[in-house]
Amino acid sequence: MKLWAYILRRILILIPTLIGLTLMVFVIIHLQGNNLLLAQYLNPRLTGPAKQQQLEALTERFHLNDPVYIQYFYWLQQIITGDWGYTNTPIYSGSVTTAISLFLPNTIIIAVFASIIIWLLSIPLGVSSAVNRDSIRDHLIRVSSFTLYAMPIYLIAIALIILLGVYFHVLPFSGPVNPLLVSNLDWYKNGISYPTHILLIDALIHGNLTVAWDAFLHVIMPSVTLALGIMAGIIRILRASMLEVLEQDYIRLARAKGVPEKIVINLHARRNALLPVATSFGYTVAGLLGGAVVIETVFNYPGIGYWTTQALLVNDVGGIMSSTLLFGLILVFTTLILDILYALIDPRIRY
Amino acid sequence: MEKRMEAKEIEGLRLSLVIFFSNKTAVVGLMIFMAYVIDALLMQFAPSMLGVNNPNALAFDYSNTIPQPPSPEHILGTTYFGVDLLQAIMQAIRIDLGYSGLIVISGALIGALFGIISAYAGGWFDEILMRITDIFFGIPYLVLALGVGFALGRTIESMIIALIIVWWPLYERYTRSLTLSIKEQTFIEAAKASGVSDLKIMIKHIFPNTLPPVLVQISLDLGVVMAIFATLTFIGFLPTGNLPELGYLTSLGLNYIQIAPWATIFPGLAITIFALAVNLMGDGLRDVIDPRRRSS
Repeated sequence: MKLWAYILRRILILIPTLIGLTLMVFVIIHLQGNNLLLAQYLNPRLTGPAKQQQLEALTERFHLNDPVYIQYFYWLQQIITGDWGYTNTPIYSGSVTTAISLFLPNTIIIAVFASIIIWLLSIPLGVSSAVNRDSIRDHLIRVSSFTLYAMPIYLIAIALIILLGVYFHVLPFSGPVNPLLVSNLDWYKNGISYPTHILLIDALIHGNLTVAWDAFLHVIMPSVTLALGIMAGIIRILRASMLEVLEQDYIRLARAKGVPEKIVINLHARRNALLPVATSFGYTVAGLLGGAVVIETVFNYPGIGYWTTQALLVNDVGGIMSSTLLFGLILVFTTLILDILYALIDPRIRY
Repeated sequence: MEKRMEAKEIEGLRLSLVIFFSNKTAVVGLMIFMAYVIDALLMQFAPSMLGVNNPNALAFDYSNTIPQPPSPEHILGTTYFGVDLLQAIMQAIRIDLGYSGLIVISGALIGALFGIISAYAGGWFDEILMRITDIFFGIPYLVLALGVGFALGRTIESMIIALIIVWWPLYERYTRSLTLSIKEQTFIEAAKASGVSDLKIMIKHIFPNTLPPVLVQISLDLGVVMAIFATLTFIGFLPTGNLPELGYLTSLGLNYIQIAPWATIFPGLAITIFALAVNLMGDGLRDVIDPRRRSS
């Protein structure tokens, strides 16, 4: 198959996926009935006939008396034009789009730090585990990655909190920053920092290094937890594929030619062993997003995930809808980009 | 002829058992798994033997709600509301194991049904199912479970349905790929040539052959599903305050993490040990059904 044909086919497949995704989100938010749906627009102070009147006006406005399949298209139009409704949770109430602009940067920063840690640690660990097969180091790496793989991610978080936060007091483990440090800053109000909404970057912009350092310390534990939870799987895949590659004939040939062992491993073997890891990168992204939900909740870190669980606890339609839709869109488009990239790198994938 | 077949099957079974039991870590995994199963069964059918009156509710002790350290009276200590941890964990194992078993097995059955039909029929039916499962893989499973659970109302039943909805696409893909390779083998061709109906081929020939790998996958997934189940209750999915469940027990101890770490450590250990055990057991079982892995 030609490359452009593959890419075209891949983009065409995206259409049914997107329709299905929006349909699923639509079903999720409509199963709870119209009252919950309208609650986000309703003025809570209204009672009696005035409330009834507003309810009717809203029902009319959102076409809730039409058949469900027609409602879907009205809803879709609303989503596409950027009107995602309102959210009302303990950590934020206001329009959903503002909430996303406040919370998404925090999730991204944790995910980015976690990815850096994963990239820096999992490759050397996986490779050295395979190269020194059955040595003590290999057993240690295998046992610890096996245990981390088996543990639910919130337990990894708790283990780190007990170890680093409670016993050694080296790292903070709650919230994005020490509230005493930011209590009278003019660019940080009500837990929102300006202009980028990422405290770490904003503090650097304003040249406040104490706050920046404290914000950095608060990011470490959530991102290390996220990294540990996801790394375990990658190390296992990498070890297996490295062992397989090391058995191949071209590795034997390279060794027989007298190529130094270091170059055989770092140049010939590692690059090929990384291919299965690269193709499982989509799962890594899914793991990062799903793990963020739990970790932000445990560490009270105000990202999309924390907002999602808060929304769940107070039955907030806006929060649940936008996080499912947002996470879905992120994942679907990352998978698309990754698939196209693989096709560029490895012609075999285009079958 | 039939007798020889039987002898061959018995021989095969004996060989499988020998292979499984020669793997020491797998046997340890099996023993831990059996201990959990026995605990769950005792809790289900004879809770009074373990000193529990109602296995569905935690026994609160309001006279001393602050978590107490392990002592001869409370071997693992107590957690918030004065709940004896050992007893609570033994109660929780029944709920966790039972429900995760229910989730994985129903997910596997639904997935296998669609997977086999999809791979056997091929064509547009296969394509549509692939796109449908794509949608399910398009949302991180935890977020999907939260969304579906929200839609159905936050009860334990809706949580189970949500997790089945999250889980079946994995088995659909797995049985689909298994069926695709079985479909090409000569005995299926022979069955087709001798006029066996498609339905009969799927039920009598393909399904039994997908069963061993699917069972191994089920044993591996039990730990994962139990972890997700516990995660959902841990973040407060269920509004009820009295469910013996490992994630909920962990969250009970969370407020006392500075003075009473055992209240979070022990329920956490109970999940981790189980997940490790089923992983070890599953690895051993995989060696049994896959001869290529045996030699290494």
